[in-house]
Amino acid sequence: MTNSNPPAPSRPLRVAAEVLENAVEGPGNHRLVLAIPGWPGAEPGQFVMLSPGGSSEAERTDPLLPRPMAVYRGHAAARGGRAEVEFLLKVTGRGTRLLADLAPGQSIRLVGPLGSAFAPVVPGKRAILVGGGTGIASLYELASRGAADAEVHVILGARSEGDLMGVDDFEALEVDCHITTEDGSRGRKGRVTDALAELLEAPGPPAELFACGPTPMMHACAKIAQEQRLECQVSLENNMACGFGVCLGCAVPVHSGGYSLVCRAGPVYPADQVVWEGLP
Amino acid sequence: MTESVDTRVDLGGIALRNPVLTASGTFGYGTEFAPFMDLAALGGFVAKSLTLEPRSGNPPPRIAETPSGMLNAISIENIGVEAFLNERLPELPGDVVVIASCFGTDPGNYAELAERLSESPRVAGIEINASCPHVKSGGIEFGQDPRLLGELVERVRGVTSKPLLVKLSPNVTRIDDMARVCEASGADGICLINAVQAMEVDVESRRPVLSNVLGGLSGPAIRPIALRMVWQAAQAVSIPICGVGGIFTPEDAVKFMLCGATAVQVGTANYLNPAVGREVAEGIAAYAARHGFPRVADLTGALRLPGAP
Repeated sequence: MTNSNPPAPSRPLRVAAEVLENAVEGPGNHRLVLAIPGWPGAEPGQFVMLSPGGSSEAERTDPLLPRPMAVYRGHAAARGGRAEVEFLLKVTGRGTRLLADLAPGQSIRLVGPLGSAFAPVVPGKRAILVGGGTGIASLYELASRGAADAEVHVILGARSEGDLMGVDDFEALEVDCHITTEDGSRGRKGRVTDALAELLEAPGPPAELFACGPTPMMHACAKIAQEQRLECQVSLENNMACGFGVCLGCAVPVHSGGYSLVCRAGPVYPADQVVWEGLP
Repeated sequence: MTESVDTRVDLGGIALRNPVLTASGTFGYGTEFAPFMDLAALGGFVAKSLTLEPRSGNPPPRIAETPSGMLNAISIENIGVEAFLNERLPELPGDVVVIASCFGTDPGNYAELAERLSESPRVAGIEINASCPHVKSGGIEFGQDPRLLGELVERVRGVTSKPLLVKLSPNVTRIDDMARVCEASGADGICLINAVQAMEVDVESRRPVLSNVLGGLSGPAIRPIALRMVWQAAQAVSIPICGVGGIFTPEDAVKFMLCGATAVQVGTANYLNPAVGREVAEGIAAYAARHGFPRVADLTGALRLPGAP
C-alpha cells in the first residue's frame, strides 16, 4: 500500500548517540536528549529505533529488541557535527526502564529517522492536532512548523496530569492549546474528543485533523472526521523488531487490501485507510 | 594482518567472498539494507522466501519479544516470484551474491519455483525452505519427515543445475537423519537451523501473544541448540553446512565454523543492527588472523575436542 504523504527525504542512519540529558518530568516520564552525529533531521511524525541493549558498557541481549520512539524535536546536524534531538518517553516495561536509567555521557545505538511523515498543514485551513498520552510527542514539530502557515489548535489529553508530556513546550508556541485529563487533575475534565467536538462546532475555516495517541482515541477521531467529512491523518503505534520494513512484525490491516507495515508505509496514515477493528 | 587472510569460501558451488550470509526472512529483498552498508561487504544474502503467487501474512500480533529472543509468525508474506525477478533483483548491484529461497505446499510448486528462479543469471543458488514453523501447510511438513524431505529435494534437484541448499528445521528428533537424506537426494549443502517452534502467553489476558498461537523462536536464545545441531549434522554428512541460529557477533560465527560450518547466516541480529553482517565478516577475518589461520575456510571443523592437542 502507498499513502498520499510525501516520502521521507532523509536516508536513515545507524549510529551511536551520546546521552546529554535524561530529565524526569512527572511519574515515569522522561525527556531524553541525545547528541546524534550526522543526524539528517526528521519530518514531523517520524521515529527512531532505540536499542536499550546497547545502552550500557556491557551489551545485553535481554531485552533484545530496539524500541520505536517518536522524534519529539530537533534540527539536522551541521556538516560533520552532532545534533541535539529530544525524545519524550514513559516507562511502560523493561526496555523503557533501561532507557529511563540512561545517564548523561552514556551512549546508545539508534537507527533513524524512519517512517512516513504527516503531510504539512494546509494554509487557510484550521489544523487541529489531537495528542493522547505519549502520542503527544509525535505532534510537536508539526505544531511548531504549522503555526507559520495556518491556524493551529492543539488538544493534549491523558488520564491524569502525571501522564501529560511536553505541555509547557506546546503552550510556548503560537498555537491555541487545550488540555484535558480524564480525572480533571489538569485542564478540563474529560476526553480529548470532547474538546475536539467543541472546537469543530465553533465557526472558522474548514478543519483538518492530525491525531496520535491510544488506538481507541485515534479511532474516535477517525469517526468524527468521517462523520464531518474532514481530512484526518493518524500516527499509529505498533510493536516492531526492525523499523525499516524487513521483520514484517508491525503489519496492520488496511482497506486497500491485505496488510501495511507501520514502520514503512506508516506510522502516518490517512485515517480512512486503516481497518480500525482489525488492530491488535 | 587481517588483509592477508583469505576470506573466500565455497558453499556447495556458490563462491562467497566471505562466509557471512544474511538469513531469509530477516533481510527483505536486500535493498532495504542499502542505506546501512555496502551489500557487497557480505558473502551474500538469502532473500525472503518466495511463493509462486504473492502471499499475504498472518493477522497481528505477529511478533513478540522473549528472553534473549523473539517469536514470529509472519507466514511467508512475500511479493511472489515474478515481482522478485522483474522488480527487486534488477535493483541490486551486480556484485551482490543473491540466493533465492523457495516455499511451497507440495513438491510440484517448489519445483516450478526453482525452475523459474534458475532462469535468472542473478540467482547464485536456491535454498529450499523446508522448515517454516508457522505455516498451516507446507514447509515444515517436509522438514520433519525424512521420506517427504527426500522426495522434495530430488524433485527440485531434477529441475535446477544451480547450487541447491536445504534449510532444515530444528523441530526434529534426529537432525543427522535429515542431513543424510538431503545429501543422498542431491543437495549441494544444508543450512540449519530455522526457528524453533515455540509459544508465549499473556497471563493478564490469558491469551497467546501471537494471533497464530504458535510461532518460531529466534535470536541468541536458540544459539546453543543450533550449534549442537550443526555439530551433529557435520558428523553425518560431507556436503557443506551453513550454520544459522542466534549469531550476533564474530565469535558466535566462529563457533559454528569450528563445529563444522563452512559459512553462516546472520538472522535476527539484522533487525537490531542492519550492518551486523559486515561486522561479523570483518570480525571472522580478524579472528583468523589473530589465531594464525591463513584462510577462514581453515576454521571449518577446527574444534579441539577433549583429549586432542
